[in-house]
Amino acid sequence: MFELFVASKHLISRRRQTILAVGAVALAVAITILFRSLINGFETTLNDIIFEFVPHVTVLPEDGESYIHLYKTLIETIWAIPGVVAVSPALSTTASFAHDDNVENVVLRGVIPDELNKISKIGSDYMVEGNLDSIQNGRRVALDKELADELEVKVGDSVRASFPDAKTMSLVVTGVFDTGGFSPNYAYVSLETARDFLGEGNVITDVQIKLDDIYQANEVASELSALGYNAESWQSQSGIVETIQSRKFSNTMIMLLVIVIASFGIANIMNLLVLEKTKEIGMMMAMGATSSNIRRIFLIESGILGLAGGAAGCLLGYLISAYVNSLAIAISSGPRFSVILTFIVDPWDLLAFPLITLLLSIIAGVYPAHQASKLDPVVALRG
Amino acid sequence: MSKIIEIKKLRKVYGDGVELVALDDVDLTIEEGEVLSIVGPSGSGKSTLLNMIGLLDTPSNGEIWLKGQNISKASSKERARLRNKELGFIFQYHHLLPEFSAVENVMMPLLIAGVEKKEARHRAITLLEEVGLGDQLNNKPNQLSGGQNQRVAVARALAGHPSIVIGDEPTGNLDSKSSDMIYELLRKLNREMNQTFILVTHDMDMAEKTDRILRLVDGKIVCEMLRDGDKFVTRDLCKLDK
Repeated sequence: MFELFVASKHLISRRRQTILAVGAVALAVAITILFRSLINGFETTLNDIIFEFVPHVTVLPEDGESYIHLYKTLIETIWAIPGVVAVSPALSTTASFAHDDNVENVVLRGVIPDELNKISKIGSDYMVEGNLDSIQNGRRVALDKELADELEVKVGDSVRASFPDAKTMSLVVTGVFDTGGFSPNYAYVSLETARDFLGEGNVITDVQIKLDDIYQANEVASELSALGYNAESWQSQSGIVETIQSRKFSNTMIMLLVIVIASFGIANIMNLLVLEKTKEIGMMMAMGATSSNIRRIFLIESGILGLAGGAAGCLLGYLISAYVNSLAIAISSGPRFSVILTFIVDPWDLLAFPLITLLLSIIAGVYPAHQASKLDPVVALRG
Repeated sequence: MSKIIEIKKLRKVYGDGVELVALDDVDLTIEEGEVLSIVGPSGSGKSTLLNMIGLLDTPSNGEIWLKGQNISKASSKERARLRNKELGFIFQYHHLLPEFSAVENVMMPLLIAGVEKKEARHRAITLLEEVGLGDQLNNKPNQLSGGQNQRVAVARALAGHPSIVIGDEPTGNLDSKSSDMIYELLRKLNREMNQTFILVTHDMDMAEKTDRILRLVDGKIVCEMLRDGDKFVTRDLCKLDK
């Protein structure tokens, strides 16, 4: 094809401009890819956290009520829903813990250790001292490490739990867990201990549910709501996923704008090229090249620049992402849970960005190509 | 000999407000295989006439017939096709494409016509050998002298087997030795292939080597001289005072 022949010769002989144009587009694409891979990695890390710590569905007391009564029926109902893998009832309250002169406010949760473990793996993965099951045996408590440090207690020590209207009691510390800041001021006791502390009967304050598929959560929540319970899914409880999504979208838009600007650098280069090549365009027309031949030469040329820029940018972005990912930069850590900066390149990006830059560069080439095609050969040859 | 070009009452007017008559009712018939020169002062309309015949420009009035086809109202696409098939151009400046080697430049009209690259290259090499540049095939225009570049331009003009070769001051930029060489080359090709050559020139020495000389003044043919052996005879009246 004669147009491709001419276009590629132009690109090769004007090496500096070609490299500059391709480089500008490539840089913009590479930064976008890098940025998106960082967000993807962040999203994945966050999802992992949600899967591990956050209950997928939580059932709370009805509005105006403090407790859920008759919770055994509720638990049976929940277990009947397909896809439910864990159901953890809890009686939660605020309390003051005192040890020597140290006093801290805590979230005191009465739980069944086995069920809680299925929700957040506290008992199996996050214990740094003692164990969680031990809270079953009477007046025992397992504390978050930060809380234990504040109170200056360790396993074997006692804390004094108190709260207005509650029964003051002494609890023996039998476990300390460290989730790296995901459960600040949490203290777990058995359901019985919690009821005893509050002086309540067979009641709970919430039920946490874990599902096979977290995206089933909204469905399960509405199913329970239909039965008259106050159920919320993790999606409705935390806006973080939406926040990340919208951040990703708005930043991608900004990056796209940068790519658009880089692509329109191609328009500038093409305009200069057309000016520079006026006489040669006239000569090609004298040799029988039609307006559409001429137009095609310049469209192909800018298309090649865009495609090459997009492809080079993808390669560059991918390599940088892979490299930074391999450095495994830690941004927060706990005993097991260390959040590492991960970069996950979406394979679709690698396909989409060259196509986007190809399209943009062809659009950028339309005007200069049109200018070239409508030159009058007589005038063009005169220069 | 048959008529290859017939021009009837050709008129070209430039400008919107102040009109400039570049060609004023020109009648002209050109025979196949003829070597014709057009002379005249600057601004006399020589180049305009040449651009009309070369299908680069369109007349304001009148008709141009090429090989029996009225082309005065042809579409730009049709004119491009005819330029490619029937015409070859040699300009004062060689107008070679600087990125391309000699052989690639000569291939260009054939590639535009859609000829296979291999075949086009073969034809281009043959032509370059014929113009004496068989050893400079892969040199780019900036690696060749002015005379050599103009010879490449001649080879390019001939690449598509055109029936008419148009030269607008083809030697205007060359020293006399190179000019003679180019002219001899054209003449030789004319004898071998019976191509029609139409040359605009300032160079009377060159004009006197052609078969017919037309003198153009103010857009009109004021004198026509025909070769008769070694001499020229004027046909009709010749307003030499002009």
